[in-house]
Amino acid sequence: MELQDVYYNKAEYVETASGNKVSRQTVLCGSQNIVLSGKVIVQSDAIIRGDLANVRAGRYCIISKHAVIRPPFKKFSKGVAFFPLHMGDHVFVGEHSAVNAAIVGSYVYIGKNCVIGRRCVLKDCSFIEDNTVLPPETVVPSFTRYGGSPGVCIGELPECMQELMLDFTRNYYQHFLPAK
Amino acid sequence: MAFFLHPNIVRYNCTCGSLKPISRIYFCRHCLKIRCGYCVCHEADSHYCANCLEILPSSEARLKKNRCAACLDCPSCLNTVSTRSTNITVQNPDDPNKTVTRKAYYLACGFCRWTSRDVGLPDQTVASGGWPEREHAHAARISSLLEHYKVLALRERQERERKKFTPRRSYLHFSDKFGLTAVMARKRAGLPPLGGLGIKDEAGSILELTPSVASEEVDSLPAEIYTKPINLAHVATLSQRLAQPEFQTELVSNLFPAHKHLMIKRSQRCRSCEHNVSKPEYNPGSIKFKIQLAAYYYVPEIRVVTCEPLRIGQECQLIIKLCNPTQHQTAIEFLPLPSAEEDLEERHKEIEEKKEKQAEKKNAEKTSQGRDDVSVLLPSLSLSRQLSVSEDPHPATVKLTGEVILPSSSVLLPPRDDAAEYDDAGDTYHFQDNPKVVVWRKANKAAVKMVVVPQDSATETREVLIGFVMKYTYVNTMASLEQKEPQKVDLKVKVFINVGKTVGSCI
Repeated sequence: MELQDVYYNKAEYVETASGNKVSRQTVLCGSQNIVLSGKVIVQSDAIIRGDLANVRAGRYCIISKHAVIRPPFKKFSKGVAFFPLHMGDHVFVGEHSAVNAAIVGSYVYIGKNCVIGRRCVLKDCSFIEDNTVLPPETVVPSFTRYGGSPGVCIGELPECMQELMLDFTRNYYQHFLPAK
Repeated sequence: MAFFLHPNIVRYNCTCGSLKPISRIYFCRHCLKIRCGYCVCHEADSHYCANCLEILPSSEARLKKNRCAACLDCPSCLNTVSTRSTNITVQNPDDPNKTVTRKAYYLACGFCRWTSRDVGLPDQTVASGGWPEREHAHAARISSLLEHYKVLALRERQERERKKFTPRRSYLHFSDKFGLTAVMARKRAGLPPLGGLGIKDEAGSILELTPSVASEEVDSLPAEIYTKPINLAHVATLSQRLAQPEFQTELVSNLFPAHKHLMIKRSQRCRSCEHNVSKPEYNPGSIKFKIQLAAYYYVPEIRVVTCEPLRIGQECQLIIKLCNPTQHQTAIEFLPLPSAEEDLEERHKEIEEKKEKQAEKKNAEKTSQGRDDVSVLLPSLSLSRQLSVSEDPHPATVKLTGEVILPSSSVLLPPRDDAAEYDDAGDTYHFQDNPKVVVWRKANKAAVKMVVVPQDSATETREVLIGFVMKYTYVNTMASLEQKEPQKVDLKVKVFINVGKTVGSCI
């Protein structure tokens, strides 16, 4: 099924020179620590916690409404330390999902209402179903589909996942248009 | 993104007859046929652990029962457990009056908060490994049984092989010359070859086996079972028990962590030409492929854009988007589905073709066997690769609930151009399109109009299913002995589209 056009209020969104589209209704803490590599969409009411550690999002990332991107921490004997959060290219984060991962690879799909626990590693070409809870420090290997609570492997992905994700995020960006 | 959101809207008919979305099918460039997961050979390439991503050789994986040596699963929620460290104070062995702090490690589940201390596992002094392995009560018995049947199977196989390969007398003098008679003699006696593969000598003799004895007496149920109330919190759930089938513990207090199952990387092989259609790199962290013949890269993709409300018996417009993923221009034409007789004929042709191919293969094998008698000595050579058994194609059982009026003219699609995204100049192609057919086009994509008429049969399921044949030109760049130049061929694939639900009540 071809994606339908999504129209946004032109006054609400800021478009940068590199093509990032960021809503004004978001909470971007520590914006000097947030890098959006271009053609990234950050939708309204999303939270990116750059004040805790660096957050880097690759090209064509889509961060949906009410999503939370928060760098993970690790407890040490002397207090806690936050680690940077890296997100690859062509990543989709669904609505109301909280991402606490250390690394999110490229071509990753995270569904709606997910909780990605502390210091999880999502490898390239992985898929997290809607309503999944990934416990802390889970590794999701490439070409697997995780779902449930706690998130376990429930299937595998087709070999052309990379191409599918490329197509999906590009299409999403092209269909994300200002209302006339 | 048909695959994510609506996987079963547009389905392609595989050569074997099953219907699959385009992301799940392959295109064999050697046979020029569509293959799917059901009609290819799956081969395990490498074993790896999903948690630590370590690759294990297949022999080691078998030895460890396809489980990772380092990573453990929580017995309670089946998630991976992690190691936690704490400081404990112990008495100094040299001076009993003093104490020293030492690190101790235990396992903890980050999801259900299960810890190895819950079941009384002692803390470890090293961070990884060293956890006690639980031995099953009947492990020795099972391994002796396994051993017995392995020997039996080996002997039976040797007997079968001896019957199959009758060495020709005329060549026997060669074996004498090269000192092979001893090997042959052993072989004929049904004994395994000496040394070499590390098979023990006594493997030939069947071990004595004490058969199991059934006993009349069974332990009676404990008396308190009728009186004591059950606390369900202490009883293991079904999924917890089935996760460890060898133990199937009844009580939560006896649940011990289990080693994590390994995962595999697989390659797929076409059964008729034995070429790979998909071969990933061995490294589990890599998403690259050595060979990648997914249909998504070779067969034009069809996507539903819009469809007007469907009313039974009324014409409505359906717009589909075509996308050419190849590096060559393609012409797409739509044809009605063949009738049942034509279909049958085609299938017969296919089966005939396959039989011919198989006969050829058999002949080739025979000639190669005649040439060298090595295959007699090393029968395992022919077993090194799994022989593929292919099934005859069967018809797709689809009940169409809509008729489709197809566009008469063909649609030309330019090759895929990855740089088009960065090209502001717009399309450089100028096709003379029929505006009644092509709604719009952009780079290697085009939207095409067609008309759908839902039939009365759609009242039952309320879903309108249409089907047609897509004919597309494919440029075969595979160089073969007969032809070096790229060849243009017309290929056909049956496509079934679930257009959507009908609206309004039927009269």
